Amino acid sequence: MLWWKSLFRKRALDEQLDSELRFHIETLVNENIAAGMAPQEARRQAMLEFGGHQQIKEDLHDVHRVSVIESTLANVKFALRLIRKSPSFSIAVILTLALGIGANSAVFSAIDAILLRPLPFPNGDQLMRIDQYNPKVKSPQTFVAPIRVEDWNRMNSTFQAITGYYTEDVSEISAALPEKVSQAWVAPRFLQVWGISPALGRDFDSDEETFGGPNAVIISDRFWRQRFNADQNVVGKKLRLGGYSCSIVGVMPSSFLFPERGVDLWSPIPTNSPFSQSRDSTWYKVIGRLKQGVNVEQARVNLATVQAQLGRAYPKTDADLAVKIQPLKEATIESAQSSLWILFGSVSLLLLIACTNIAALLLARGAERQHDISVRFLLGASRSALIIQLLTETFVLAFIGAALGLLVAGGTSTVFRALAAGLPRVEEIHLDMRIVFYSLVCCVFATLLCGLFPAIRATRTNISGSLAQGSRTQVSGRHHLQWVLVAVQVALAVTLLSGAGLLLRSFRALGHVSPGFDASHVLTLHISASWGETADMKGLTQRIDRTIDSLRSLPGVDAVATTAVLPGVPSQYQTEIKLTEGQIDPQRKIVAESRWVSSSYFATLQIPLLEGELCPADPDTTRALINRSFANSYLAGSTALGRHLELLDNPFHLPPAEIRGVVEDAREEGLNREPGPTVYYCSSAPVPDPFYLVRTRTAPMVMAQTIRRKVHELEPGRSVFDIIPLEEHLDEAFSENRLRTVLLVFFALTAVSLACIGIYGTLSYSVSMRRREVGLRLALGALPGQIVKHFLLRGLGVSLMGCVVGYGLAVAFGRVLSQMLYRISPSDVTTLSSVVLTMLVVAVLASLIPAIRAARVEPMDVLREE
Amino acid sequence: MPIEKSELLQGTLDMLILKIVALGPVHGYGISQRIRHISKEVLQVQQGSLYPALHRLEKRGWLAAEWGESDNGRQAKFYKLSPKGRKQLASEELNWHRLADAVSHILQTA
Repeated sequence: MLWWKSLFRKRALDEQLDSELRFHIETLVNENIAAGMAPQEARRQAMLEFGGHQQIKEDLHDVHRVSVIESTLANVKFALRLIRKSPSFSIAVILTLALGIGANSAVFSAIDAILLRPLPFPNGDQLMRIDQYNPKVKSPQTFVAPIRVEDWNRMNSTFQAITGYYTEDVSEISAALPEKVSQAWVAPRFLQVWGISPALGRDFDSDEETFGGPNAVIISDRFWRQRFNADQNVVGKKLRLGGYSCSIVGVMPSSFLFPERGVDLWSPIPTNSPFSQSRDSTWYKVIGRLKQGVNVEQARVNLATVQAQLGRAYPKTDADLAVKIQPLKEATIESAQSSLWILFGSVSLLLLIACTNIAALLLARGAERQHDISVRFLLGASRSALIIQLLTETFVLAFIGAALGLLVAGGTSTVFRALAAGLPRVEEIHLDMRIVFYSLVCCVFATLLCGLFPAIRATRTNISGSLAQGSRTQVSGRHHLQWVLVAVQVALAVTLLSGAGLLLRSFRALGHVSPGFDASHVLTLHISASWGETADMKGLTQRIDRTIDSLRSLPGVDAVATTAVLPGVPSQYQTEIKLTEGQIDPQRKIVAESRWVSSSYFATLQIPLLEGELCPADPDTTRALINRSFANSYLAGSTALGRHLELLDNPFHLPPAEIRGVVEDAREEGLNREPGPTVYYCSSAPVPDPFYLVRTRTAPMVMAQTIRRKVHELEPGRSVFDIIPLEEHLDEAFSENRLRTVLLVFFALTAVSLACIGIYGTLSYSVSMRRREVGLRLALGALPGQIVKHFLLRGLGVSLMGCVVGYGLAVAFGRVLSQMLYRISPSDVTTLSSVVLTMLVVAVLASLIPAIRAARVEPMDVLREE
Repeated sequence: MPIEKSELLQGTLDMLILKIVALGPVHGYGISQRIRHISKEVLQVQQGSLYPALHRLEKRGWLAAEWGESDNGRQAKFYKLSPKGRKQLASEELNWHRLADAVSHILQTA
């Protein structure tokens, strides 16, 4: 009951008690007056006779109060006694619920941390991710020029502040060996937008945000602990980053992990520096904080107006641009959403199966306790009191189960981190009061779901009949209900198993796909660099080419290449292209994936050249290769070589590139995607810090130290980091896939075991109830084989019904999963029918033991029991 | 000499209340008066015992209560016997008689 209601009731009760007692006293007074006493004396006498008014009221309150607490306590005590009396039943129920509630709370804790909670910043819902894009071309240009960020920030009326950032990995060389640090370059107002102040020290000041001012950094909590041993006097110390000396002005709190978990330090970019004045140089990812009370739609309208004004002021660079605004939380969690909800759905089905299973057990138990219940009825217990008592028993079991389940849920973050480290916000998963409360809600829900119906059933009896006859001879309709519950379990188990089967098969199909490149024996690594180097593209290219050559010269290395983006890891950069010499079909848009790679890329990944030549080492002209799909789609029936490609939207004003060769298709955009038309632009230095790919003769990681030493020898100021085999990157890219597959398989196997226990338990119970009948039939000459067949068919028949329903549900579930399936249809007949077959085999095995036990009944024993 | 409630056998007060109420709807004051009159002043029920007993019986569903107007025109809570209470009274009376018979039999013959 709600507390205010009970309070209200208490007051009403109090008034009633008062007026009842007052009536008594007044009557006594009147009588005394009638007997001739003076009014004063009459009242005094009456009060004396009546005794302590307050004491009586207290006693009356006790009468009304005690019963609730006492009966609950008595019910709980009784339940605990019953648990001790039938330990195997209780343990089965407790463990089933521990698993059901625990798994449910576990997945919920992930959903809560990742999807439901606001981002861990003050008023996190005001934070927006802002992108610029050109609606006219297919590939959105999502980075923003620093000067445009300043314009937006100045001209809008809906944001408190707008800021931008980008990250790069550089070397810190004040220690003995260069150390790679991840540095975020940030626009002014960065900390203001997050609403977080440094835990130590201060924010950047305006001098530091001015070109030519002092170099300042704020460091992360992790960097502070690792590098400075959490020194309280760290502010004012110097770091040497990429050749510059920078003073530490602050330390961020440990919770601040933006833009990424691994970030070590933040540095300001002056808005008035010469290199950030071009409206074409787009670097920033942009974040804004909405003003109080402004919604996303108002902000969209406002920024669209601002951008339109900029378009009129700078038609050349800004006229075609539009602005996209998305809540930062949505942008962060987008990828994980569907996987998590599907896991939550599955785990809820699992809990439903567990509850159904327990409901069947309780129904059987209710029948056994018929006598006990009838006696209580006769002793004057009301039906509701009995139902409450039975529910209390279930609740106590569920409560113990839920408490154990919390232990399961406590391990969630470990499991999620182990299976899918790339999941957004995974570090925020932990056990707290919300999860405990959720478990409690699950516990109440489970109590009602598995306990209410059996309790109502058990108390709906013909008392005298039950007492007189006992329950031995009845063959009641209760059996049908238990079998319905078993069929439900089978149906849900088939659903989950099919989902798991589909995911598993698509996971394996992904593992067996031939990607068109050879990822084995390829090591990937980064070498620290700064975007400042792009000021001298020629020098940058020479440096990278020199590094490629010297790594190539190492013994045990077969080939070395650089690329801006890893092959096979899902990512797309689609651009619209035109052919300078004119198109085969002028109506048709040419859209292709663009990749920037060094000439040795194809040898390193063993992508065969079909025609022409590989990128020649010539920095003066732009060369490109196309893949077979591109040639077939856009240049069918004509020679590709010698034609020129131009980007339609060309923010960097790149010159047309000449097609010099055609290579075989490879799954560049993700192992799970068919290769599409692709253009490879030949450039070993598309970014200052590309991925280096090293093809090794032995296991790739063996070469790690040799490579590190070689780079150090060549350029002592740079650090080598993220040395990981390419295959591991590919694994990691599909870790969410692995997470949901592994978990769903686990849930499905649990569901099947539960259904199996359900069949076994219900059939065993049915056998024990019908012992007399079976004995009689055996005595009359039935063969044991017939008895076995009878019970076996019973179990099988119900399972078959469950399978039919389950098949339908499985098709629906498959449709939900269809987005996540690879090379398998959501209603794949092979998968679904083998799931049904598996379920039926399990059902036969589960039915066999009770059926055989039935046939072993000794007719004489049973008849003697009568 | 009046006998106080504490000297009554456990459960006897409940039975006496049920018996009095069986005569017709009556309020707490009326019950205490009638027990005193009918027992010729031998049994005197303390209000501190009477009211908790009344509420206990009401809660068990043996008594039903409703508010009504008393003889002197004031609002009072009237108790009457429920069907369940009538059954209870019958079985308690039966038990009482068997007990009383047995006790007096022992007192006379032993």
